[in-house]
Amino acid sequence: MTHLLQIEDLRVTFNTRYGEVTALDGISMQVREGETLGVVGESGCGKSITALSVMGLIPTPPGRIAGGAIRLNGEDLTRASEARMRELRGAEMAMIFQEPMTSLNPVFTVGDQIAEAIMLHQNVSRDQAFRDAIALLDRVGIPSPDTRARDYPHQLSGGMRQRVMIAMAVSCRPKVLIADEPTTALDVTVQAQIFDLLNEIQRDFGSAIILITHDMGAISEMADRVAVMYAGRVIEEARADDVLDYPQHPYSRGLISCIPALGKGEMRDTLAEIPGVVPPLHLLGAGCAFADRCSHRQMRCDTEQPRLIAHGHHPAACHAVEEGRI
Amino acid sequence: MSALLDVRNLKVRFALPKPSLFAPHPFLEAVRGVSFTLEKGRALGIVGESGSGKTTAAMATIRLVPAAGGEILFEGEDLLPLDDEAMRARRRDIQLIFQDPYSSLNPRARVVDIVREPMDLMGIGDAASRLERVKELFELVGLRPDQLNLFPHQFSGGQRQRISIARALTTNPKLLVCDEPVSALDVAIQAQILNLLARLKRDLGLSYLFISHDLGVVRHLCDDVAVMYLGQIVEQASREDLFDSPKHPYTQALLAAAPSLARRKSKGYVRPLKLSGDPPSPINPPKGCAFVDRCPLAQEICRQEQPVLKACGASQVACHFAAT
Repeated sequence: MTHLLQIEDLRVTFNTRYGEVTALDGISMQVREGETLGVVGESGCGKSITALSVMGLIPTPPGRIAGGAIRLNGEDLTRASEARMRELRGAEMAMIFQEPMTSLNPVFTVGDQIAEAIMLHQNVSRDQAFRDAIALLDRVGIPSPDTRARDYPHQLSGGMRQRVMIAMAVSCRPKVLIADEPTTALDVTVQAQIFDLLNEIQRDFGSAIILITHDMGAISEMADRVAVMYAGRVIEEARADDVLDYPQHPYSRGLISCIPALGKGEMRDTLAEIPGVVPPLHLLGAGCAFADRCSHRQMRCDTEQPRLIAHGHHPAACHAVEEGRI
Repeated sequence: MSALLDVRNLKVRFALPKPSLFAPHPFLEAVRGVSFTLEKGRALGIVGESGSGKTTAAMATIRLVPAAGGEILFEGEDLLPLDDEAMRARRRDIQLIFQDPYSSLNPRARVVDIVREPMDLMGIGDAASRLERVKELFELVGLRPDQLNLFPHQFSGGQRQRISIARALTTNPKLLVCDEPVSALDVAIQAQILNLLARLKRDLGLSYLFISHDLGVVRHLCDDVAVMYLGQIVEQASREDLFDSPKHPYTQALLAAAPSLARRKSKGYVRPLKLSGDPPSPINPPKGCAFVDRCPLAQEICRQEQPVLKACGASQVACHFAAT
């Protein structure tokens, strides 16, 4: 099976008051049809910039794709015209954002907003599009969809709004669906409903899903493959089971062991901590960006950038793993 | 064991706008008769969805929201009848940590002044001893003395939450109310704050009333747990009993909904218990059990009769058909 979406050595830079900073520094990841790729990391690691790059939504200026390629079915999106991107967005790839309240238009009914997306990409009448919108609302599990379609976003609960976003995103059966922390603002019960819905949609439509999250628990439930990001780089990439059971990079290990356990019997006295915070991008030095927070730091970590290569189990960008020290 | 806090049948209601000039006020019943006990040196977690009344119940307990009825016994003394001055003196023993470390610190004050302010207000010690105390607290929560004169915006989210904790500890409180203290933080930072709270509880013998929607966090830090749904406690138990053998169908569904590393897509994990819909409106709470429309076990009696909290094994459960 070939990859539906392939990101190759992508570099994205931003002009800031500190000069040009590199937000994405040569990242590569790929996702197949019907597969879910989890992208995980703390805030400021470049997860959302990756998603926006794929959608062609990096604000330019100050941002700029400085190198690499993003291939959707072989077509390089970094070279596509804005008109071509507009054709692809919504039809071939769609995105679900973190905050459904701010991503829906407050002055149009949700039915009209979904119908608008349908009419942009399909040659159908307004009436037909509205009927399709109602069918989609039904599909994403909104009760009494024909009355709800005439509601405005503020009349819906947070979970319902996120369902509307999903209905809009899947209205043209996109091949790639990017979900950027789709459940951050929601309760766990609603989060579970949204995750189950995304899985159903993937089964029905065969979409590839890129799920962006900071929660390793969500990765475990949703993802087939995982890319762990840190300070604009992919530092570990493998099948979800490999990363969860045999994390290599000290950062991935930290992310997994700092979650309080929920399962019967498992109990940790103290949680593993990752000291400090993600460094600001303009302060990155020549060495490993994680060195300051790492307990396996040695001289080499400060001077030489580790590369993402398989040392044992699967690829990880870490000198300590490479030297067999951990 | 002596109870630090004993809350009995606490009720909170909010008046809604009148539908017409002569109509009576409709009320939103936010907390509908909640009782719990918090022992000294222990942590009681209150969990539930948004709108379940968990924050309102905790805020009413420390009189930051007026209660409509009930008793709040703090070291045996009922807080509700106290006048303002007596309550103000009592607040020395009761402190609060908020969810959002960005909006709960004054952006124009230096952190040394923020942490010292409770001592100024309570008239504790003199200027020199207050500064000493601030330095001591900074060290206790893991901040450096050279950071004393900085402003809140110069700190990261996790450090700001440490400042909030230092401020809460200045008056040597007995009870610390934590309202979602780690929800706004990244997972790695969340672990730092949880470990700090666990250490302070152990070393200083603090008691926590800990509000959270995150079951993993509650399981890590709390000794006892109360699950709230639409303004009422539906299950109350020790940590072990609640997490290892949940009795109420809502508790079971909450546990099934929480993401966990043990549930793998690769192993074909399918959620066993699915909750559909949203909780009912607290403006007109249903006559019977509030959970009835989302409950897999619901029967006719659940619509007619409100279940009361009663013993079920080692737990307290409010359900007509609780699993035993």
